Amino acid sequence: MNARRATPWVAGLLALLGVALVGLRAYTRHAQQLASGESLWRLTYTVKFQTETSGARMSAAFPFDTAHCRVFRQNVLHPDMQPERLRSPLLATREIDLLTLQPGEQNMTAKFDIHLSRRGRFPAYNEPLLSAQARAEWLRSDKMVQADNPVVMETLQNIRRETPSSGDLIQQLFEYCHTQVAAAEEETQADAASTLKKKAGTPAGRARALVALCRANKTPARLVTGFVMEENESLEPRVWVEVWLGNRWSPFEPENGFARELPYNYLVVRRDGGDIVRETRGSGLEVHFSALRLPSGLGAGRSKHNSLTALADLTRLPLEMHEVLSLILLLPLGGLVTAFFRTIVGIRTFGTFTPSLIALSFVFADWRTGVFVFALVLGVGLVSRSFLDRLKLLMVPRLSTVLTLVVLCIIFCVSLLDMLRLTPGAQAVLLPMVILTMTIERFYLTSEEDGTGFALQLLAGTVVVSLCCYFVLRWGSVGRFLFAFPEAHLVTIAVLILMGRYTGYRLSELLRFRDFGPVRKPEGPQS
Amino acid sequence: MTAQTQRRWAWPAELRARGILGINRRNADFVLPHNPRSHYPRVDDKLLSKKFCEERGIPVPETYAIIERQGDIRGFPDCVRERPQFVIKPASGSGGRGIIVVAEHDGETFRTPGGAALELAEVRYHLSTVVSGLFSLGGQHDRVIIEQRIIRHAAFERIAVGGTPDIRVILYRSVPVMAMVRLPTAASRGRANLHQGAVAAAVNLRTGETFGGVCKDHVVSKHPDTGATIEGLRIPFWDQLLDAAQKLADALEMGYVGVDFVLDASIGPVVLEANARPGLAIQVANRCGLAHRLDFLDAQPPGALAPARRADLIATLSGMM
Repeated sequence: MNARRATPWVAGLLALLGVALVGLRAYTRHAQQLASGESLWRLTYTVKFQTETSGARMSAAFPFDTAHCRVFRQNVLHPDMQPERLRSPLLATREIDLLTLQPGEQNMTAKFDIHLSRRGRFPAYNEPLLSAQARAEWLRSDKMVQADNPVVMETLQNIRRETPSSGDLIQQLFEYCHTQVAAAEEETQADAASTLKKKAGTPAGRARALVALCRANKTPARLVTGFVMEENESLEPRVWVEVWLGNRWSPFEPENGFARELPYNYLVVRRDGGDIVRETRGSGLEVHFSALRLPSGLGAGRSKHNSLTALADLTRLPLEMHEVLSLILLLPLGGLVTAFFRTIVGIRTFGTFTPSLIALSFVFADWRTGVFVFALVLGVGLVSRSFLDRLKLLMVPRLSTVLTLVVLCIIFCVSLLDMLRLTPGAQAVLLPMVILTMTIERFYLTSEEDGTGFALQLLAGTVVVSLCCYFVLRWGSVGRFLFAFPEAHLVTIAVLILMGRYTGYRLSELLRFRDFGPVRKPEGPQS
Repeated sequence: MTAQTQRRWAWPAELRARGILGINRRNADFVLPHNPRSHYPRVDDKLLSKKFCEERGIPVPETYAIIERQGDIRGFPDCVRERPQFVIKPASGSGGRGIIVVAEHDGETFRTPGGAALELAEVRYHLSTVVSGLFSLGGQHDRVIIEQRIIRHAAFERIAVGGTPDIRVILYRSVPVMAMVRLPTAASRGRANLHQGAVAAAVNLRTGETFGGVCKDHVVSKHPDTGATIEGLRIPFWDQLLDAAQKLADALEMGYVGVDFVLDASIGPVVLEANARPGLAIQVANRCGLAHRLDFLDAQPPGALAPARRADLIATLSGMM
C-alpha cells in the first residue's frame, strides 16, 4: 500500500529535519558572541521578614523592559507565600503581590536575567499621552514631595528670576539641584522641603527636591526607583526623576548630573517613588539586592530583528508572553499523550482535546483549587442538567443554560474559596467552560443512553488522560526547551504520523479479545 | 460449553494467529482506503440510504412522512392519522438513538410495544429535539423519518426480548465476509445494540444457521434472559438477504461496510441501515477473526470478486477460521 510505504519516510524526514534544525540553532547560538555594547546580567532580590499572623502581604517590583534593557528570564521563589496577582500593565509597575500563609519567617528570592544594550535596540513601548488623571497625579503635592511648600515656591521664584525668559527653566531647576544642593552623607530628612531649606540632601532628597520644583512649576514629574547595573554583591536602589517634557518623559539624575539621557545601565523598577520591596503586618524586613555579570551565553534576541532566525527565536519576546507561549508549545505534547492513549492503549475519553484543555487549565490554577472547582462544576452541572431535562428544552438553549450555570458556579466557587481563606488562584476561572459544558451534556446523554457504567468509564478515561497530560504540561524543562527550539515539534509531528499508521492491537483489545487466548478448545463453526 | 481462558488477556501474537482485526488496522487498512469520505452521506443519512435501496429494488421500511423543519411538526398528527403503527427515526442517528416505535395510538396518546404511553406533546417535543440535531452525528440539523413498523418474524420468537433482532452482514469489496444476528435483551432495553448489552449469535454465511455467540465481548451460547440456546437457528430468506446486501454494497461503492437487516413477518429481509465502521465484536460471536478472510479476498486475482463468482467465495470464507 502506498500510504504504508510513504509514512516511515515522511516521518523520518520530518524527525531528521527537526533534529537538524535544533542542532544547527543550538550550535550557532553557542558560537555567536555578544555584539559590542551588549551585556548579560543577573539581578537577585533576597527578601526576608517575620510575621506573627497569617495574611500579611508583601509586594516586590520587578525591572521594566526598556529600549536598553530586556528581562529574558525570571525566576521567583516564595515557598510559603501565595501569589495574589502579578500586575504588569505595560507602563505601570511590574509587580508581584504575595500573601503569607502561616506565621513565621517568610522568604522570597527573585532572579532576573537581564540583557543590556548600549545602542538601545530593543523595541520600547510607546508611552501614551498623559491623561488628565495622570497629569493631576504627577502634579500632586504630598508629605515627601511638598510642591506647595513656601520653601519650594520661594526657590522656584528665585530660579525663575535668574533664568532669561527664553531659557530652559527645567534645565535650570535640574542644575540647581545638581550643583547648589550639596550631597549630604548622614541620614537626614529626605523630603523635598528640608533638602531645599538646608541646600543639602541625600540622593533621594535631591531627586524629590527636583520633582517638587517641577510640580510647583506645573510641569508633571515623577520619581523613578531602580538600579545602576554594575557588578556588586550588595546593590543599593537609586532614585532619579522623570519630567514630562514635549510629550515624553525625560530622565534627570541630580546626583551624578545626567540630564535628558541616562547611561544605558540605569534599570527602571518603579515609577512612583515607592520602595522596591514592601510588606504590611510583618516586621524585620531585610532586603538584599545583588548584580552579577553573566558570561555571554543565551541572551534576549541577539540576532537582527529582520532576519529569519529571529522569527524562531522566541526569547526576544517580552517576558509576559514567555509563560503563555511555552504552555501553548506544550499543547501538542498533550495531543501526543491523548493520541497515545487512544490508539495504542485504547482508553476512550469524552472529546478528543478535552483532556489536554482540562490539564492546561489545571496548570494555570493550582491543582487543589482546580480539582475542587472541577468537581463542583461537574456535580452542579449534572444535577442541573437532570432538572433541565424535565423542562424539555431544545438543545441550544439547554446547552447555553448549562453553560450559564457553569459560569455562575465557577464564579461562586472562586468567591467561596476566598471567603474560606483558601485563596484561590484567579486562574481557576480559566477552566475551559465551554468544553466542560459539552462534557456535562455528553456525560448525561451517555449515561441515559448507554448506561451510567459506560459514562463513568468514559469519565474515568478522561480523568486518567487529563492527569497524564497535566504531568506533561507541568514539565518545566521540556517547556523551556521547546520555547528555545520550537522546531523540535517537527519530531512531534513525526511521532504522530507514525502513530497514525499504527495498525497493531490496542492494549485494551488484548483484554477485549481475551477469549481468543491460548486454552480455548478449537470449536468449529460447522458440524 | 463456553470455553474459558485462564489468562485475562491475550498476547498480540495469539490474536494475530487467530486473524483478529483490531480497530487501528480496521480503520487504517480497510475503512480509510476503501470508504471514500464523500460517500459517507450514503450511509449516515438514512433517507439517502433508503433512496439507494429503493432504486435497486431492495426492500426497506415504507416511508410515511419526512419532517424537515420545526414548522412541519404541527402536521405530525395528520401524517399518522391513517397509520395505526409507525416508527419515528432520526435520519442521521446512530446506534438506535432517538427511535420511538409506536404500536398503537388514538392521535392523543401513543403506546410503544413495551406498553409505555406518550402524550402527543411529548412526541412533539421528541420530534423537535430530533430536528434540532440532538441525535445526529455532528449535532447538525436533522430530519425525522416516519416509517413503517417492522413486525418481527416468528423465527425469533424465543430468543428476542422486548425488541426486534437485526442481522448484520459485513461485506468487503461487496463480498459478504461475516454475519451475525443481534438479539435484544433486557439489559439492552430492547435495542439490538451490542455495547448496550444485546447478545449476538454468528450466522454461517453459507447456510444461514446461527452458531457461537457473544454478549459484552464474552463468549456465550444462551440468551441471558430466557436461557434459550441461540445456536442452530436457521435464518429464513438467507440467500435473498445476502443478495440484497451485495447489491447494496455495490451501489454504495463502499469497500468495507456493514449492512443491517430486519426480518419482517410478511416482506422478509428489509434493510435498516448501512454502517461505514462496523464494529468488531462480530469476531467474538463467530469465534473467528476477520483479518484472514479480508486478506484472502485481497489475495484473489482480479475479476475473482465478480458477482457471479461470489457464491464459491462465500462457501470458502464460511469455512475459514
